[in-house]
Amino acid sequence: MIRISKIAALFVGMAGLTVAAVPAFAQDSKFYTGAPRTYLYNPDTEVCFKDTSQYKKDGPYTIGFSNAGLGDSWRVVMLHSLEKAAAEHKDEIKKLIITDAGHDDAKQVADIQDLISRGVDLLIVSANTQQALDPAVSQAMAQGIPVVMVDRRIASDNFVTFVTASDAMMGRLFAQWIAEKLHGKGNVIMLAGQAGSSPSENREKPAREVFAQYPDIKVLETVYSDWSPVKGKQVMQAMIAKYGKSIDAVWSAHGLQTPGSIEAFIEAGYKDGEIPPHTTSDVNGPLQMAIQHKVPMLEVGYPPAMGGTSVEVALQVLHGAPVPCIYTINSQIAVSEGDNTPSIETQLRLTDMVVPDGAPDMLITGGMGPGYDPKTFKIDFPQ
Amino acid sequence: MSTIAYPRLRARVGRNRGVVVVIGLLVVLLVFGAFLSDRFRTPTNLLNIVEQSTGLALVSLGQTLTILTGGIDLSVGSMISLLSTLTSGLIAGNAAMILPVAVGVVLLGMVIGGLNGLLVITLRIHPLIVTLGMGAVLQGVVLLYSLGPAGKVPPGFTFVAYGKLFGIPIGAIVVLVLFALVAGFLRYARLGRYIYAVGDDDEGAKLMGLPRARVILFVYAFSGVCCALTALYLVARFGVGQPYTGLNYTLASITPVVVGGTMLTGGKGGVLGTLLGVYLISLLNNVLNFMDVSTHYQLIAQGLIVIAAVSIYVEKKKRI
Repeated sequence: MIRISKIAALFVGMAGLTVAAVPAFAQDSKFYTGAPRTYLYNPDTEVCFKDTSQYKKDGPYTIGFSNAGLGDSWRVVMLHSLEKAAAEHKDEIKKLIITDAGHDDAKQVADIQDLISRGVDLLIVSANTQQALDPAVSQAMAQGIPVVMVDRRIASDNFVTFVTASDAMMGRLFAQWIAEKLHGKGNVIMLAGQAGSSPSENREKPAREVFAQYPDIKVLETVYSDWSPVKGKQVMQAMIAKYGKSIDAVWSAHGLQTPGSIEAFIEAGYKDGEIPPHTTSDVNGPLQMAIQHKVPMLEVGYPPAMGGTSVEVALQVLHGAPVPCIYTINSQIAVSEGDNTPSIETQLRLTDMVVPDGAPDMLITGGMGPGYDPKTFKIDFPQ
Repeated sequence: MSTIAYPRLRARVGRNRGVVVVIGLLVVLLVFGAFLSDRFRTPTNLLNIVEQSTGLALVSLGQTLTILTGGIDLSVGSMISLLSTLTSGLIAGNAAMILPVAVGVVLLGMVIGGLNGLLVITLRIHPLIVTLGMGAVLQGVVLLYSLGPAGKVPPGFTFVAYGKLFGIPIGAIVVLVLFALVAGFLRYARLGRYIYAVGDDDEGAKLMGLPRARVILFVYAFSGVCCALTALYLVARFGVGQPYTGLNYTLASITPVVVGGTMLTGGKGGVLGTLLGVYLISLLNNVLNFMDVSTHYQLIAQGLIVIAAVSIYVEKKKRI
């Protein structure tokens, strides 16, 4: 079961049976709106599905969302995306109760128990840590309350489904694009996230496997940014001092630290068009910098829009429709102009995604529509 | 009622001013919660509140005794982290290891606590500094042992946290029994009464020839045992021990003690007030959850309640 779920986590996406959740920004035909690629290109014949007929219920529903906490911009947009989806389904959702554990396991366990006593029909949980929340979530399932995990799962498989994006796909595509950009020969710095954190490790390992296919691609060093542009800049300054012009590309595990790396190159005297290729995700700033300084760039998102998707999936569960065991949502794939490679062919350009006047730290893959500002966002959802 | 009983009663209420205040607040919150929602009144919810407070109750029990002597134990958070990480790390999923590890962890808690007491006595440094230093040492040790969640416990072990006896959570029963035992000990045992004497007037206690060292050693060792019990409970609740599990408990363990009317200067108060203080905090969080008040306001509300409750108590004390 664990093995299957691991394989599923890598390959399985949304099924044809489920309605594709199209991000609100995807009005432009260049945005990819098909079935998730992780599902479509999955070579396995078997895909794990969950029968949810036992959870079928008549609405309107009370749904509880136990959030691990806020604290970074990704999590804020994810919460807003979830509230927006609840507002769009007012007819079916009587009440959405949200609790915030402030990144405290004990508080989140208590929150989950309180939500159950408040009579929720379904729980959406983003677990603070995957082991400590396991017993509490397992208890909820044992009491017959379906649990949909979002972004952060528990260690065991005691949930209905897990809404996420594919870390492994990001890591592989980033590496494949760099290898092809460099025509199979060159030196790469891996600018990872936080050492030992699962999103970072699940992107690094598949990336190394791809790089290993190219004997002349050399990973000079793997450095850790703790997902921070400030730390990212510091470590990249050290790398530039050490390796200088022999750095041919920077594999960055997410867009949070990418701006720090580009800044380090600019400050080291690299002119526009000289900065080596970078990878990024979700964040506006790196796209703005790439366009301004002509940095070749690949964007593969880990979209906070999964907050909204978790509400859609929750409703499917309450309708008794089968759902995939791991529900991988679509990541938009965009490149800078002229930087498609044989494997990474996409119509979407950085200029289609960037919000030119938007804040650099803004996340653009939340599906929140034009004019969204996380600081002033307010929506009337059923509560 | 005899004429002698009445002043005694009044004296007792005066001594337990904190208890009266907390009972008042508990009643207000319960009535308010009952009006707020039908679901608040359900036995499930009320039992949840009691169950959720188990960890805090256990660590605060030990803390009450150290504060009664005029000291404090700031190593409890790190000690809980260390002992819980060791618990799941050493059990490592093996059911046969549960009993030996549980016993070993309680003994280790007693030894570490005893060491705190020994340092307080021999070095004559304020317990605040001794236990703060010990806390840092223990946090370092646990991080050397494991940087993340260590090992695991067999699924049945969660029974300690989530199991029920006659419909009442096991943890809640353990808490009630322990608090009753300690309350009896403080009142009737000689060592229990010495705890008050040392806290009330340390110099006087010395002059009277009370076994001050034994009292200090005892309260810190007992606090260590309470940390071990908290650690075991948390491992059952989370299914694993983690090197930062206890972090919040250092300050949190002091809150119910002072809310319950035990003076930080020592010598006055008791465990009943602490238990009620624990229930008050747990109830407050539950009511605020039912009111859909965000976590950030919950912290503010907790802080204000502490200050309000303590100020009411202090004012009365000055008047006396």
